[in-house]
Amino acid sequence: MATAAVRPPDLAQAIAARDPARGLLIAFEGPEGAGKTTQLRLLKAWLRSEGHDVVSSRWASSPLVKPLIAARKRLRILTAEEYSLLHAADFRHRLETTILPALWAGKTVIADRYLFTALTRDAARGLELDWLLQLYAPLVWPDLVVYFALGARDSSRRVAATRAPRFYESGQDVTGLDDPLSSYRQFIDRVITDYENLAVIFQFVKVDASQAVYRQHQQVRRLVQSAVRRPWPEFSNDALIEWLTRHPDQAA
Amino acid sequence: MADQTSRPGRLIAVDGSRGADVVAEATRVAERLRSRGVDCAISRWDASGLFGELLQADPEALVVSPRMLTLLYAADLVFRLRWEIQPALAAGRVIIAAPFVHTAVAVGVGVGLPAAWVQDVLRFAPAAAALRLTRERKRGRGWRPSPARGYAECCAALLGAAPSGLKRRKARSRAVAWLAAAAEAGEGSSRKAIVKAARTQEQLAGSGAPVARADSQRT
Repeated sequence: MATAAVRPPDLAQAIAARDPARGLLIAFEGPEGAGKTTQLRLLKAWLRSEGHDVVSSRWASSPLVKPLIAARKRLRILTAEEYSLLHAADFRHRLETTILPALWAGKTVIADRYLFTALTRDAARGLELDWLLQLYAPLVWPDLVVYFALGARDSSRRVAATRAPRFYESGQDVTGLDDPLSSYRQFIDRVITDYENLAVIFQFVKVDASQAVYRQHQQVRRLVQSAVRRPWPEFSNDALIEWLTRHPDQAA
Repeated sequence: MADQTSRPGRLIAVDGSRGADVVAEATRVAERLRSRGVDCAISRWDASGLFGELLQADPEALVVSPRMLTLLYAADLVFRLRWEIQPALAAGRVIIAAPFVHTAVAVGVGVGLPAAWVQDVLRFAPAAAALRLTRERKRGRGWRPSPARGYAECCAALLGAAPSGLKRRKARSRAVAWLAAAAEAGEGSSRKAIVKAARTQEQLAGSGAPVARADSQRT
């Protein structure tokens, strides 16, 4: 169906007009074993019980890009740059096909990891932060970033209790260690250091992931209830204009 | 083979607004180089198979954006650099990267991306010793813009299915205009100049110039 072209000033107006009714974007970040997925399930169930429409998006789950990444991970042939670029493509696809349409329709979106996971892991692989940020530009900024803080020892212990870390997850491609767990301990230490730095720069809200699950959930509820929206026209205008230009039916 | 590692290799980029023209030009440059005793190979688009695999996806689910395609192009280029371009350079060979950076930027600009962003994403790519910019040739009868022909054709096919409906002609004319501006700024070289530059390099290396060797790239 042909839709009349909407000019950029009109798009900016459409974005400002939609902002009060759009959904909240919440990002959960933290190392493996911090309990992000458990907290996401609890929050999702609670928000639904409160009458909210909720959509969740997991890291590296784009139906188009995930198979491309999985095949190459199995062969262990990815360089740090390829790994990073493919995850950025996966993120872009989910942002444009899942996250933005849901937010625009007024649904709450909970992202089980957002771009900060990529920034920390890829920076720990030795890539420049400036280049990494470019891969994710232009960005839709989350309204709330909840960082489930956990030390490297606790993260390693929790992961080891359930499974052996996978090759790229344990950073074996950069540490060169044969033992996945030893590699994970070394790698996650760097990742957590980067998370702590990003937490300051991007104003993450910290939740102590060593607390009891219910206590964390209570804290997350309070954070979501008091979350202040980051105004779209101020924080995410470029990304939205680009998306609406390609989806004029949404702006109409 | 030990002498090969001490020779400096040479990277030649061939870029254009249509994949078919880029491939044809790269083949022509390679033939000319080989006929003059210069050992060379061609590195082509989608050596990693990323786009080939993407095109196998269910057409209904194949909703992509220009930025996503640029990121995949960059991932493919990293693969080509690692497996084709850098090994050839390390072995002292002349390697023709067809396409390289300018194609991605031109196609990106054509579909509405800022040139600076595409250039930034691809900033890991080494500078080419020489660049050949192709002109669009008249298409023969029965020619179809199959997405497997090249990056530009692939983008046109995939983005054409987007809700906004990419205006293919407009996108191509913007890409052509960007390449023309690059050529006008003196970025491109003539075929003759490229052959001369590659031969000079080979002679400087003091080689006995092993002639034809099988291309390392996929077809």
